[in-house]
Amino acid sequence: MKILTSLILILAAVAAAAQEPLEVQTVVQKQETFVNDAGETERRLVAADVVVPGERVFYTITFTNSGDEPADNVVITNPIAAGLVYIDGTAFGPGADIQFSVDDGRSFAAADTLTVTEDGQSRAAQASDFTHIRWVMRSELAAGAQATARFAAILE
Amino acid sequence: METAIRQHASASARMRRAILTYVCCAFSGPVGAVGTAVGTIIESTATVDYVLGGTPQTTVSNTTTFLVAERIDVVVTPQSGQVVVLVNDTARALLFTITNTGNGTETFLLAMNSIVTGDDFDPLPASPDAIFFDTDGSGDFNSGDVAYNPGANDPVLTADQSVDVLIVNDMPGAVADGDLGRSELIATSATGSGVPGTVVAGQGDGGTDAVIGTSGGEVTEFGEYLVQEVSIDVIKTQAVTDPSGGTEPVVGATITYTITVAVVSAGTATTGWVSDPIPTWTSFVPNSITLNGLAVSDATDGDVGEYDLSGAPTVVVRLGDLTLADGLQTVVFQVTID
Repeated sequence: MKILTSLILILAAVAAAAQEPLEVQTVVQKQETFVNDAGETERRLVAADVVVPGERVFYTITFTNSGDEPADNVVITNPIAAGLVYIDGTAFGPGADIQFSVDDGRSFAAADTLTVTEDGQSRAAQASDFTHIRWVMRSELAAGAQATARFAAILE
Repeated sequence: METAIRQHASASARMRRAILTYVCCAFSGPVGAVGTAVGTIIESTATVDYVLGGTPQTTVSNTTTFLVAERIDVVVTPQSGQVVVLVNDTARALLFTITNTGNGTETFLLAMNSIVTGDDFDPLPASPDAIFFDTDGSGDFNSGDVAYNPGANDPVLTADQSVDVLIVNDMPGAVADGDLGRSELIATSATGSGVPGTVVAGQGDGGTDAVIGTSGGEVTEFGEYLVQEVSIDVIKTQAVTDPSGGTEPVVGATITYTITVAVVSAGTATTGWVSDPIPTWTSFVPNSITLNGLAVSDATDGDVGEYDLSGAPTVVVRLGDLTLADGLQTVVFQVTID
């Protein structure tokens, strides 16, 4: 009987994993300037299909709990792709603590506590040292709730 | 059991990340000093870890992608500083380095202009060619340098690559000491130039869009010539020795003329010479000419001087090119009073 219960639990877990009740969507955009009807120059975000070095790109990660139970310990992790440099201060996520990695995602900490070793000398990490960004939600994501995480980077 | 499930979940997440990393890198181009290589595909995927009903879960987002297009940019760096020139100098070069600071391979068109505002005179572009590649890498213009021929040998530079170019001018006659003359080199991307941000559709490397960078795809830089007239001090002195051993300028007395020439400024006095007609009331003393203590023959015979009788009798000594470093040049000759 105990074995059977365990099997049922495993099956339940596998079924839950297959459903993936949290839906995650990532969008990348870039800024474009345009002249509005009043003849003023304005900026707007447009789809980033083609980008040239020196341009900024803006990532928005939207996650929705489409299940019927709250999700706890929600952590979003996004690597900063090769060729991109994170722009300091742009990581944003309501209700989340933002952490960074300088070791390819092996460890994470708040930006101002990270150090890197260069030529045998330890120094404070800079935005260009970051390899991954992590948003750690401070509270549960209720069933049906949606949250976002954002950051911007510059194409080298 | 719960522990086992968690391990399974995190292992699966790691595996997915590993696959994504592999896909990312397989499509990535090299990242150069100038910028990410044109044609590189930049991918990004977010992972969400969470706990649902006590069970850890991982969800991976869609993967965003964008294509790195070509940015057209160029920098021209003057290398010569102020080039010191003389009135009527010919074939004086200004050196520039043209660097492709975009992220693709570009062809650049070159032009020059010597009618530039903000200076005192207009240098005269050399003819028939005035733009040359510094083919021999000497930094100066000489016979080994290949002329730029528009449309035939336009420089093609890969990202971050440079080429050294010389523009060559002659100096006009109507200039004065201290005058400045500017001459500029213009490098223009063959793909396109204009307002930064302008998209040249499909004209980038590999058919990507090309975008005009902050340089506008065209750069003009000037170099400067500074006219410096060479200052020369010439001093002529005479000493009289009369037949009775005194210094009276009587008939039969010998006059020894000493002419000293020295460059006392920067620059080169080219093909300088001393030409001194002897006084009509004297006779030249044969074989009396010396230059810096060395005898100069009277005959017109290929050495540095002669006693020239083709017109009014004249002592001629050629000094060649002189600079400050050559120091004092001393010419001595003698005459007797008739």
